[in-house]
Amino acid sequence: MASEFRARGAKQASPPATLPPPQYQSRYPPRDHHLDADERKALAQPGSLKQSQHAFGGLRLASSEWKLLAGIVVLALCVRLYHLGWPASVVFDEVHFGKFAGKYIHGRYYVDVHPPLAKLLITFMAVLGGFNGEFDFKEIGLPYPSDVPYVLMRSLPALMGVGVVPLAYLTLRGLDCRPATALLGSLFITFENGLITQSRLILLDSPLIFFTALTVFCWVGFSNENHQEPFTEDWWLWLALTGLSLGAVASCKWVGLFTIATIGVATMKQLWDLLGDLKVPPRVWMKHFLARALCLIVLPITVYMAVFEIHFMVLQNSGDGDGFMSAQFQQSLKGKGMHDTWADISLGSEITLRHVNTQGGYLHSHEHNYPTGSNQQQITLYPHKDGNNNWRILAGHSEGQPDHDFATEPIKWVSNLMSIRFEHISTKRRLHSHDVRPPVSDVDFQNEVSAYGFPGFVGDANDNWIVEIEYGDSHDKHSSGRLRTLGTVFRLRHALQGCYLFSHKVKLPEWGFEQQEVTCNKNAVKANSLWYIETNEHPQLGENDEKVNYRRPSFLSRFLELNHVMWTTNAGLTDRHAFDSRPESWLTLKRGINFWVRDHRHVYLIGNPVIWWLSTAAVVTYLLARGLLVLRAKRQYKDLNNSFIVKYDQICGFLTIGWFIHYFPFFIMSRQLFLHHYFPALYFAILLTAAIFDLATSSFKPKIRLQVAGVLIVAAVWTWWHFSPLTYAGEWTRGKCDAAKWRKTWDFSW
Amino acid sequence: MSSHLSGELYEEYSELIPPLIYTILSCYTRFYHIGKANSVVWDEAHFGKFGSYYLKRSFYFDVHPPLGKILVGLAGWLSGYDGNYDFPSGSAYPPEVPYIPMRVMLAMFGAAMVPLAWFTSVELHLSKKACHLVTLMTLCDLAWICISRFILLDSMLLFFTFTTVFCMTKWNNQQWRPFSFDWWLWLGMTGWSIGCVVSVKWVGFFVTALVGAYTIEDLWEKFGDLKMPIRVYIKHWIARGLCLIVLPAIVYMASFKAHFMILNHSGSGDSQMSSLFQANLVGNDFATNPLEIAIGSKVTFKNVGYGGGLLHSHVQTYPVGSLQQQVTCYHYKDDNNNFNLVRPWGHPEYNPNEDLEFLKDGSVIRFQHASTMRNLHAHMVAAPVTKENWEISGYGNATTGDHNDLWQLEVVDDIILGNKKNLKDRIRSLTTRIRFRHLTMGCYMRAANAVLPPWGFKQVEVSCDKENNPKDQHTWWNVESHWNDRLPSGNQKLYKSPFLSDFWHLNVAMMTSNNALVPDPDKEDILASTPSEWPWLHTGLRMCGWGDDQIKFYLLGHPLIWWGGTLSLILSLFILAVYMLRMQRHYVDWKAGEWDHFLYVGKVAFFGWFFHYVPFLIMGRVTYLHHYLPTLYFAVIMLGHFFDHFVFSARRLSENVKTGVFIFTYAVIVGVWWWFKDIAIVSAFLNLFGTRRNSASGLPVQLIRIKIHESSIGYH
Repeated sequence: MASEFRARGAKQASPPATLPPPQYQSRYPPRDHHLDADERKALAQPGSLKQSQHAFGGLRLASSEWKLLAGIVVLALCVRLYHLGWPASVVFDEVHFGKFAGKYIHGRYYVDVHPPLAKLLITFMAVLGGFNGEFDFKEIGLPYPSDVPYVLMRSLPALMGVGVVPLAYLTLRGLDCRPATALLGSLFITFENGLITQSRLILLDSPLIFFTALTVFCWVGFSNENHQEPFTEDWWLWLALTGLSLGAVASCKWVGLFTIATIGVATMKQLWDLLGDLKVPPRVWMKHFLARALCLIVLPITVYMAVFEIHFMVLQNSGDGDGFMSAQFQQSLKGKGMHDTWADISLGSEITLRHVNTQGGYLHSHEHNYPTGSNQQQITLYPHKDGNNNWRILAGHSEGQPDHDFATEPIKWVSNLMSIRFEHISTKRRLHSHDVRPPVSDVDFQNEVSAYGFPGFVGDANDNWIVEIEYGDSHDKHSSGRLRTLGTVFRLRHALQGCYLFSHKVKLPEWGFEQQEVTCNKNAVKANSLWYIETNEHPQLGENDEKVNYRRPSFLSRFLELNHVMWTTNAGLTDRHAFDSRPESWLTLKRGINFWVRDHRHVYLIGNPVIWWLSTAAVVTYLLARGLLVLRAKRQYKDLNNSFIVKYDQICGFLTIGWFIHYFPFFIMSRQLFLHHYFPALYFAILLTAAIFDLATSSFKPKIRLQVAGVLIVAAVWTWWHFSPLTYAGEWTRGKCDAAKWRKTWDFSW
Repeated sequence: MSSHLSGELYEEYSELIPPLIYTILSCYTRFYHIGKANSVVWDEAHFGKFGSYYLKRSFYFDVHPPLGKILVGLAGWLSGYDGNYDFPSGSAYPPEVPYIPMRVMLAMFGAAMVPLAWFTSVELHLSKKACHLVTLMTLCDLAWICISRFILLDSMLLFFTFTTVFCMTKWNNQQWRPFSFDWWLWLGMTGWSIGCVVSVKWVGFFVTALVGAYTIEDLWEKFGDLKMPIRVYIKHWIARGLCLIVLPAIVYMASFKAHFMILNHSGSGDSQMSSLFQANLVGNDFATNPLEIAIGSKVTFKNVGYGGGLLHSHVQTYPVGSLQQQVTCYHYKDDNNNFNLVRPWGHPEYNPNEDLEFLKDGSVIRFQHASTMRNLHAHMVAAPVTKENWEISGYGNATTGDHNDLWQLEVVDDIILGNKKNLKDRIRSLTTRIRFRHLTMGCYMRAANAVLPPWGFKQVEVSCDKENNPKDQHTWWNVESHWNDRLPSGNQKLYKSPFLSDFWHLNVAMMTSNNALVPDPDKEDILASTPSEWPWLHTGLRMCGWGDDQIKFYLLGHPLIWWGGTLSLILSLFILAVYMLRMQRHYVDWKAGEWDHFLYVGKVAFFGWFFHYVPFLIMGRVTYLHHYLPTLYFAVIMLGHFFDHFVFSARRLSENVKTGVFIFTYAVIVGVWWWFKDIAIVSAFLNLFGTRRNSASGLPVQLIRIKIHESSIGYH
């Protein structure tokens, strides 16, 4: 039996003395180990870069290279800013993001699925341009009036789009690629039609990609510093910059979380290698760990929350986003505040009743009848304040109800398990339920709820509801024993049917004004059958009696609530869109997005096919090569002892993981997706293309390498030129337009 | 000499003494008072009834594969049951139903779990003490006991899950001599066992995934073995392909073959199958329907696609889109499936005295819903679920309508006659396959497996597909029932429905029905539970009515086993992390082979649990506590593995400590079992539980309440 040989070695902090000392691989292979012959030769020449071992961020750029970089930036400026004011009307999602700028300027609360940073930056530009917030960006194609500084607003994404170009150059150089490679990569970015289109409009993707690129650049710089010497000032600087940039990318769009995951994976790899390096004592390792936790977790969260703090500070007034938020949250908005209301609920109280779990609002009735079922008066949930939300609490006698004068009768509090009725103040009918199926949720366990009664009719037992208190407010000790305004959360059980007053996110048809359905549910899910009283008045309660109001929520609770709402709204975006697409179609650039059409001119988001397909080919190539390496390693081939292979495997591996993490999660998302969701992944794929170019041409002479790069660049620029009318809404002949349809599925010409 | 011999014999058989004792105990716990509750408990209402169908040989439909239910039928047959009881839930068994022998036979599967657990632990090379603990936990888990004692499929599912793991571990231990007889034997047994477990319930695919993962890892390791010639390596692949893919597939299909062979009479499940299959059942009269379709005929249409139903309409209207009358695809036969075939608007109305006008390829007609007189109608309104298609509705009446009510028949082929030319401009019922093309929009009527929301009673959506895919069988229809007084009744020579097509048809139908078992978000189901509640045994399951004078069963696990198993699984990740960090730091904790063995047992337990648990998190369908029961086995193995690793095989602990821990654990498990045994074996405690979710305090309080109330009850 196994137990005989199961003895485990005793605790051993170091290998037993009998073994030969293990051959620890040095943490960093000699820096020039991977260099090919001509580079070694170059290094050996006098005046080479070898002397400056501690380059800032590992970037060793000669001064001529800085001039080259400046030239590329000027080129990118021309490509991105050309004719920025055209089209002079609202394009695609400018409808949303332009509108949000207006809301910030008026401080009107709105809810959107994206975090606020990029929208705040756009607003900043709008304010600089003197935008008064009156233009509403209502629909695509609406011409901009002269007082809307839309060109300035567009220039922010455009400039950030330009910023990506030098970042790509420097990142590739930081990854130890050659200048020719960096030139190729940055020009590919410059002439990628999709990135150009997306950055020339008031959209969030350009800031997102900029911050993604910035993060990758900072991380590469940090990794280089880490190689040279940890815990220097520069090391801390690069690490902190990475963290700040991570915070910014996540504050633009949640897709930024994928960037965080990418850096997280790379960090774990670094820490894992450090752990295996016995020259790093545990204490130093811990320092490494804590430094990264501080800068890459705490710092981004702080940035993210700070952005939301600014968001809340700007949006102080009530607006069209109120309905998404809880009543407490709305209390913090100007124009939505509620006056204090009396705390004690008793028979005769005039109240409004609010549903806890949905933002559907108040129990409501109006003088319209159900067209189905009993044909009695409708009961709904209505989100806005209205006189038809008011109900009076009466005692639930099963027969005969004397006229009450609540102004003189002794107060009788409403306690747990008490039988009560609700009389609708304006129509004098009572909340009623019976064994009739509701209009929409026509299933056997649901009963219709109606308002029933007529003058002189004292009501019947189907008007009676039993109060079942679920929980009270911990700050109000009475609230768990009897009904208290705002404090008590309770269910209402129908006395005869045993069903619970219930509502859910189901809208009534037009005859019910698309208000939310209210039913009485025999198997009620608890969360949707909870209610509380929001306002309360009673003839005998005066100024001196106890009053209550919502407690103003803290920043943290507002922050969490908003993020929760964003999450559920985002997950609910599952409807199809005419130009949506699924992730598998992105790799091959199957289809673009129609952004704007007018007078036979067209803005159509489509990538530069040459660059796009090359980038996909690069990913596939690396994956195949890496797969082959895995198979060979299993067959004991020692490829990975070759520092040349290791160098490129590390560069390409990092970029491919970045690509994968920015791409794959979309497969499991069920929300509607668009081609531009691929752009962050595309950025990684283009860098990977450049890295593979670097690998493939490493044995070439510099001149030939430059020529190969030149050919690729010319091909890319030609394609960019070919498709530029779609990017810049330029003039095109019908024939040229049809001829440009390289794939049948590109639907830009009709 | 003889004493030497008997000593040898003792050596050889002494190992069998503990499993023998455990088996006896296991039989005792599974069989004791098995007939005391003489009413139909829990899903006996289903599975007893399904067993009866095999005895009556009448075709039925269910979401589970047939093997388990065939075995129920077999148990009934062996007990002399005639199959004429329909197992109404909660009612008392009449004297002629031999429910006790049936329950005993099925409980034997449950009893066999205990020796299997023992032998599996031995094959996993756990220490003796750990083997005892794993077996004891299998013996004492209340949920396993409880579920084994009734006419249900779970005891069989558990049994075959256990045999699969057992065969796999047995085979693993033969790996040092590949292609030997024993190696082939256990590989084949693994495959057979996979076939059986999958044929009982689809949950069996999860244990199949475990075997698959093990096999892939094994082949990967062999790939790295430079000493193995490539021919041998290929032989390894082929052997596994044969035994682990082909063999299980054969077993699975054989169970369906038996299912079709036994159930050769028309019954409640007919309508789930193709028209041709139904026509071949004894008691079905499709073949005597009039053969050729004419104007004035009343017909039902069957969708040819796998799992397709009958074209249906009812008075309820769409709450979205056009708000007109719903048209759906529905599997049950009723009068709402009947359509009259009438001429287009503007043509003379059908007159029973005129010459018969037979329909042919290209005829344009109107479908009139027989009970509501509405016309089958399509228009440019997006369909409710498949938004990219147009909606099909019932519109107008016998006198009002428009050109959107007209459909053109396009004959695809005829199953018997083949090419449509052979039909000679006629359309036959049952065998001719037709497509319906909307005359004005050119779209095709299609019913795939898109299910309507509750307002459509979860029936299948019918829509008009803009894309013309002539090969898409979901746009193919055939006439199933056909009434026309003026036509002679047919005497069609029947074509046998091919087995493979029936097999696929039934499996697709099972899949569709299974996916339609989604919980209503508005309805609180006190029996259902979510997967997150299972590992901590947050909730139990009432298995029968809760009347005061009733014997009650409450499906609830042995708390220590469930909690301990879950803890050990969480701990396993933590321990793995610690060991890997230490390895990266170059600590040497293990002797050669130890680490691999530690990982092997851990992987079997962890991935077994993982594959059985995670799919339930993603599944949309309603889940119950008993879905966790196969999963629990792997938690138990992990718990045994951890006891072994940290106590029984630990070098730093003295033998006395190990024995002490062993005895203590053993006693506690038995003690807790004794405390709770009545909820599973025969319990008759009085009304204890309020509404389940009312007690925020959760399980521990419930457990105490069980005991308090139980003390005051006698058996009824």
